[in-house]
Formats: sequence, C-alpha cells, structure tokens
Amino acid sequence: MRIRALLAVTALAATTALAGCSGDTGGLTTDTTQAGDTSVTEAPQAERAPAPACNPRASLRPAATLPTPGDMPAGSYMEEIQKRGRLVLGTSQDTLLFSSRNPFTGQIEGFDVDMGRQIAEAIFGDADKIQIKVIAYDKRVSSAADGSVDIVADTMTANCDRWRDVNFSSIYYEAGQKVLVSKDSKAKSIEDLGGKKVCSAAGSTSFENIGKVRSKPVAVAKPAFGDCLVAFQRNEVDGISTDDTILAGMAAQDPYAKVIGDKFTEEPYAMAMSNKHPEFARFVNAVLERNRADGTWKSTYERWLGDFGAAPAPPKAQYK
Amino acid sequence: MSTALAARPAPPPVQQPPRRPGVLRRIGGLRHTSPGRLQLLIAVLVALGLLSGLVAGVAGASARAGTDDLGDRAQPLLIEAEAIYSALADADTTAAQAFLAGGLEPAALTRRYDADLERATTALTSAARRTEENGRAADAVRALSAGVATYAELVATARANNRQGKPVGASYLSEASRLNRETLQPQARALFDSAQAEVDDGYGRAGAAGWMALLLFSLLGLLIALALTQRYLSRRTHRTFNVPLLLATALTLVFTIGAISIMVSQQTRLDRAANQGSGPLASIAESRILALTARGDEALTLAARAGSGPYEEDFDKVVARLTQERGPMVNSYDQLDWQLGQQMNRASQQFKAYVAAHKQVRTLDNSGQYDRAVDLAIGTATTNQFESARQFLDQALENRKAFFTDEIDAAGNGLGLLTVLGPLLALAVCVLAFAGLRARLEEYR
Repeated sequence: MRIRALLAVTALAATTALAGCSGDTGGLTTDTTQAGDTSVTEAPQAERAPAPACNPRASLRPAATLPTPGDMPAGSYMEEIQKRGRLVLGTSQDTLLFSSRNPFTGQIEGFDVDMGRQIAEAIFGDADKIQIKVIAYDKRVSSAADGSVDIVADTMTANCDRWRDVNFSSIYYEAGQKVLVSKDSKAKSIEDLGGKKVCSAAGSTSFENIGKVRSKPVAVAKPAFGDCLVAFQRNEVDGISTDDTILAGMAAQDPYAKVIGDKFTEEPYAMAMSNKHPEFARFVNAVLERNRADGTWKSTYERWLGDFGAAPAPPKAQYK
Repeated sequence: MSTALAARPAPPPVQQPPRRPGVLRRIGGLRHTSPGRLQLLIAVLVALGLLSGLVAGVAGASARAGTDDLGDRAQPLLIEAEAIYSALADADTTAAQAFLAGGLEPAALTRRYDADLERATTALTSAARRTEENGRAADAVRALSAGVATYAELVATARANNRQGKPVGASYLSEASRLNRETLQPQARALFDSAQAEVDDGYGRAGAAGWMALLLFSLLGLLIALALTQRYLSRRTHRTFNVPLLLATALTLVFTIGAISIMVSQQTRLDRAANQGSGPLASIAESRILALTARGDEALTLAARAGSGPYEEDFDKVVARLTQERGPMVNSYDQLDWQLGQQMNRASQQFKAYVAAHKQVRTLDNSGQYDRAVDLAIGTATTNQFESARQFLDQALENRKAFFTDEIDAAGNGLGLLTVLGPLLALAVCVLAFAGLRARLEEYR
C-alpha cells in the first residue's frame, strides 16, 4: 500500500516536472528545487531505516542564564555568529503569517521571522542583524545540517526522523494538519477527498501525511505552499493540505477557499540547527524560555495570529 | 526534306544496328549528305538556342524567387524569432525587477513589460505568416502563441494579487517566470534555430546553382556549335563569313558574358550577405539574448533570496561566453565595418562595467546586505550601464540588418534582366542561325 502511494506520488511529481526540463530554474520564490525534486527527496527517507521512537518535543536543556547580548561566550557558535555580524535565518517567503514577503515593503515577515529576530536580538542586542535566506521546503533539514544557514524557522515540524540530522529547539508552536478546499466543496474532512488531487510542499511532513490518509487522496507536490495556492486557484488541484496555520494564511488570500475538518496530525514547530553546536540549541532554548515567561511569545502570537482568537498558553518546553 | 531523302544513298547494313527505329535511322542518315548536314546543324543550333533561352528564364526566375524568399521571408523570420526571444527574456527580467522594487510596480517597468509583450506578440504574428504550415518552426510558433497568452494571464493575476497586498502574487510571478524560462524561451530558441537553418537553405536556393550551371553548359554548347558550323560552312562554301551566324555568335557571346556577370555579381552579393550580414547578425542577436539572460539571472537570484544559486551559475556561464575572445560579442567586427566595430566595442565595454556592478551586487547580497544589493541592482547607475550596452547591441543589429538588406537587394539586380532578356536573346540567336543556314540550304534546291 505504501509502495503504491509512493508510486502515484512519483508519477505525479514527474508530470508536474514536465515543464522543467531545462534544469536550473525554480522561479521567484524558491530557486533550488523544482517540483520534480520531490520524487528524489522521498527516496532517501524511504530507504532509511525508520527512526527509533523518541520524544520529538524534548530538546537540549538550556543554561540557567543568558549571556549579555553582544558578549557571547568565547568558543561558542554564538560568538562565531557575533563575529560575522549577522544571524543567517533560513525560511520561506510565501507562507503568509509565518514568513512571507510583504508586497508593500518587500520585507519578509511573520511569526517565524520574529522567532529568528528574537534570537538575533539576544545575540547582538539588535533584531535587525539578521540575514534572511529563502530555502526550499525540502532543503530545510540539509540547510541547517550543513551550516548554510545558522537556524531554520520555517513552519518546521520536529520529528524523530529529522532529529537524527539536526538539533531542534524546544517547541514554539503547536500546529496540526487540516485541509483547504473550495468554498462549494461538500467534503467535511480530508477523508472525503479520496482520489482527488491534494497539494502540499515537497519535503514537508504534510506531504507525507497525505499519503497516509485512508481514503487515498492523490498527493501533488509543489516547491512551496504559495505554488499550491496558485495550483488551487488555477483548478489544477482540488485541495491543499498542510498545517492549519498555513492554510489560514491561504484562506485569508482567497475568499473562495475554506479550511475543513479537525486537525488530523500534531505538528509541533521548532527551530532547527546543526547538531555540531549543541551550545547554540541550548542558547536558543534559553531565549525561548525567557520569551515564554516575559510575554514576548504572547505578543508575537497576537501580532500575527491574533485574528484567530486570543493567544493560547505557549507550548510547554520539554527537555531531554 | 524530300530532296535530302531522295539524295540519300543506301546505308551499308553493317553500320546500322538491326532494330533502329525508322525516324532515328532517317535522322542518322541525314549526316551523309550536305543538305542533310545543314538541316541537322539547323536543328542542333535551334535546339541549343531554345534550351539556353528556356534555362535562362527558369534560372533567372528561380534565383529571383530564392533571393526574394531569403530577403523577404527567411531573414525577417530570423529577426522576428530573435525579437520574440529577447522580448520574452526582457519581460521576465522586468517582471522580476518590478517584484524586487516592492510596493506598487514602478510605472517605467510596467510600460517596459507591456512593450515587451507587445513586441513578442507582434513578432509572433508576423512569424506565423512566414512559417510553413507544418514543421518545427510552425510548432514553435503555435506553442509560443498559446504560451504567451498563459504567461500574460499569470503575470496579470500576479499584479492583481500584488495590488491587493496578497503574497500569493509572488507565487504567480514565479509560476509565470518558470513558464517563460522553461517553456517559452526554449520554443523561441527552437524558432530561432529553424529560422537560421532556413536562412542557410535560402542561400542555396537563391544561388540556384543547378540551373545556373545548366545555363552555362547550354550557352557553351551553343557557342561551340556556332563556331563549328561556321568552320564547316567556310570550308564547304566559298564564303569565309556567314553574317547571320556571326551575328548569332556575337549575340551568344554577349548573352554568355552577361549571364556570367549577373551570376558572379549575384553570388558575390549573396556571399557578402551571408558572411558579413546574416552571420554577424546571428552573433549579435545571440549577444543580445545572452546579455538579457544575464540581467534576468541577476533579478531572479535576488528574488529567490537564497544567496548565489543556480541562476548565478548561469550568469557566470553567460558572462564567460560574452567576454570570450572571438565569441559572439568580442570579435573582429571592425573588419566588417568601422562603425559596427565601434558599436560592438562599446557594447562590450558597457557590459563589462555592468558585470563589475553585478559583482558588487553579489558581494552585498552574500554579506547579508540584501536591501542594498537590490537597490544597486535595480538602481539607475546599474540600469543605465546595462541599457547602454543593450542600446549599442541594438544599433549593431540595425547596422547589419541594413547591410544585409542592401546586399540582398543588389543580389536581385540583373536576375529580372536574365529572366526576360535571356529567352529573347536566345530566340534572336535561333532566328539568325536559321536564317544563316537556310540561305545555304536553298542553294541545294
């Protein structure tokens, strides 16, 4: 069953990649990946032995106190960042509310970007000392692992499989997967979309989760979620399935779309870093710990997600 | 005729293959009597004369048609294919730059995008008229027509979303850019290549080498036949000169010299048009397309906001090609034309200046100063450098276009003369030859 689903996915990915024969392009929002890459990215995960059971929410315990901004401990990765003069944040630019490009200002902003800015603030005392690097969804793990960015904050679910390659911070947001369909659709949940085309970003956990739905919707991969919305509006796909918050950002841009059903997965968001620098993960966790306590988390939530109701209590940090 | 037949002695049977048909045998028999020989000579001269006239007409008309097709269809198709290609590349760049500018699209960029799209669709319409109904070029034109409509629609949706502050506009733009770069531009390239092949074939057709060779052979045959006839007559009769035949020879000589000079002049013009017109034109066109691609790569690298990526690698490849000695941009254009050399030199210098600015853009972006990198890339100074390089390329392209048109027009000169005067001269030669020989033939009656 799993194999059949994979095959369907691969075939679809191949069709979506038809346009991209020349090889080196991706367009404006993502550059390194094409739709065709999905078939490739699936493969190594499928080949790998399943990750041993773990608690994906449990991160490295932070130090009791934070160093003073601008005075990072010698020999630490934070000092390296400080010497460089900027924190390199890997994120996307088309996930409204979390990290998207504001068409008016051209700046990338959102909940995830603010998470990164708070880390920069803690290192430099200046939240603007941040370089935003847009990475494709299926490059989030590798970008953090190989150090091409310092930290990834990009609606990224902490799971046991990814824990083998990167260190995650403690959880900063609890999302869950839902599905977005056209306003006139009679579907009540993703189970009603058997055989229909449902889009998700290549390399996201949402994409894998579509394949696990019993009624077998056809998963369609696009380089980024923005491309899924384009495909949805051009009637190339019947629905989009990913985390409720990302879908809310899409529904906000399309009055003919609605989000249906209950969360059918748990997607705890965390920031990813290279596992070569455990001290950096501890530092980030300390910053998160402080921000949960002093109301920074709450105000960030209200700024971006306030339209969906009052801020809940921040996710409780768990440590190994 | 009856005289000749009556005077015919019985041919020895050994000389005759047993089953020779009667007509051939009778004609074969003609050569054994003097009037028969004269009749044969008349037939040969008139036949060669008529052949020369006919071939002159056909050769002239065919070369004329080929030359017109080259100048009025194949070459313009090449120019239009280039226009489609560069307009699409420029539209992609412009859309990406407008995106980078943020906020409301700058009016200048909107106008440029609209102009690009108009240029592409106009060129596409005339290209459609110039392509055969089937074949690679026609396929490319069809794919382009459909694709450009989709492209325009995607960009329009991107703008509408952008106008309302919806980030999905950026995704539409990226979809449009993908379509442009991965589908439309390769089709434009295919059209350009097949137009290039048609131009190459066109030179062959314009030369009409087969017909021209046949014309030369028949004229040569006619001259030899005339010379031999006159030698025969001066030996067999007491008259050294036969005035009509002399006139016929003179006319044939004039005809031959005229035909040769028209051919040589046409071939020279065609060679010049090919080597100094079409060839350099294609190289300059390639330079312009490559330069526009580089500018697009720069904008897309910044728009992707992922640091130096695959577009930047493409930029490096393009620059390597454009700065290469004896490549499409840096070449001895000054040997063709002093002004052209100047234009290409300046284009190359300006492009190098632009590449230097681009290096700065990359340095800024790679060191985390994204906003400054964007400002520099789409700022006036860099834009002017690039636009100036592009204007010099435009001028160089016009220079070669004009040269080509002049040469092709000149190549067509004289072909009409050959088509009309050739058969008339040949007819005159026939009449004179007939008159000259008939006088001798009469003597046998």
